[in-house]
Amino acid sequence: MSPYQGGGDMISSVSFEKTIYNVIPYKFEAGTPNIAGTVALGAAIDYLGRVGLENVGTYEHELLAYATEKLSGLPGVRLIGTAKEKASVVSFVVEGVHPHDVGTILDQEGIAVRTGHHCAQPLMERFGVPATVRASFAFYNTRQDVDALVSGIKKVKEIFHDLS
Amino acid sequence: MSDLLALYQEVILDHTKRPRNFRALAEPSRHAEGYNPLCGDKVTIYLRMDGDRISDISFQGSGCAISTASASILTESLKGKTRSEADALFERFHDLVTGKGEGNGKLLPLGKLAVFSGVSEFPTRVKCATLAWHTFRSALSGGETATTE
Repeated sequence: MSPYQGGGDMISSVSFEKTIYNVIPYKFEAGTPNIAGTVALGAAIDYLGRVGLENVGTYEHELLAYATEKLSGLPGVRLIGTAKEKASVVSFVVEGVHPHDVGTILDQEGIAVRTGHHCAQPLMERFGVPATVRASFAFYNTRQDVDALVSGIKKVKEIFHDLS
Repeated sequence: MSDLLALYQEVILDHTKRPRNFRALAEPSRHAEGYNPLCGDKVTIYLRMDGDRISDISFQGSGCAISTASASILTESLKGKTRSEADALFERFHDLVTGKGEGNGKLLPLGKLAVFSGVSEFPTRVKCATLAWHTFRSALSGGETATTE
C-alpha cells in the first residue's frame, strides 16, 4: 500500500532512481507526531485519576438529578430521554419554540447548549420532535449553572409567549 | 439582550405563530423544496406565474422562528412582483442579513423585510433567514430542490 502523504520519518532513502519507504508503522505516520496531544492526554488521565472517576460519577449523577427535577417543574418543557441509567445530559424541548431559537437565546444568556438532531434523526422521529436542546453537565458544573439554565428557559418563554 | 430583541422582533414572532400564505397552491406553475440538512428546516415554495409576474405564491414546511417568518414575509413581499423586481429584492435582503448593506448607502427600502436586520448579528442564523429565498429562486429558475449547504 502506498502512503497517502509524505513527510518526515516515512522515508528510508530517496534517490533519482527510486524511493524506499520506512517500515510500517513509520511509512504511514509522516511528519511530527502530535507530541503535545500525547503529553496532554497523559496529564488529563493523571488529573482524572487524582479526582477519582467514582467521585466524578457521583457528583455528575447528583447534578443530573437536580437538573431533571428543576426542568421537570417548568411548564411547557418536555424532557426527552428519561432512562434510569444515563449519563449527565438532559435533552428537552420547549413547547412552541424551535430548539434553534431556544439555543440562540440561551447563548445570549451565556449558556452553551447543543441544539439540533444530534445526528440521530430516526430518534427525533420516534419522539415526534424536529430537534432537541441538550445541556451536558460535567464535574466542573454547579447547581448555579443549572439554575442559570432554568432562568434562561424562562427568558425563552418570555420572549416567545408574551405575544400569544 | 438588545441583540435578541432585534432578532426576535414582534413582526417576526407574529409571522412564526401565524404564518401567511401557508398552504399549497392547487395548480402551481412551479414549486421547489428547500432543505437545511444541518438543522432540519424544510420549506416548499409554490408559485403561480402570469407571464413574467408572480400572481400567487405560498409555502409549506417546518422550521425555526426565523425560517418560518422569513418564508411567510417572503410570500407577502413577492406577490405581484416581476422576476427582475424579485431578483433585486433578494439581493437587498441578502445584503441585509449578511450585514453587507450597512454603512455603504446600498440599503434600499425593504419594507417589512427590514425586520430581519437583526439576523446579521447572528451568523449561524443567516441560513435560516435565506432558506426560503434560495428555494424561491430555485422554483423561479425551474429547479426542484435548494439547499443552504
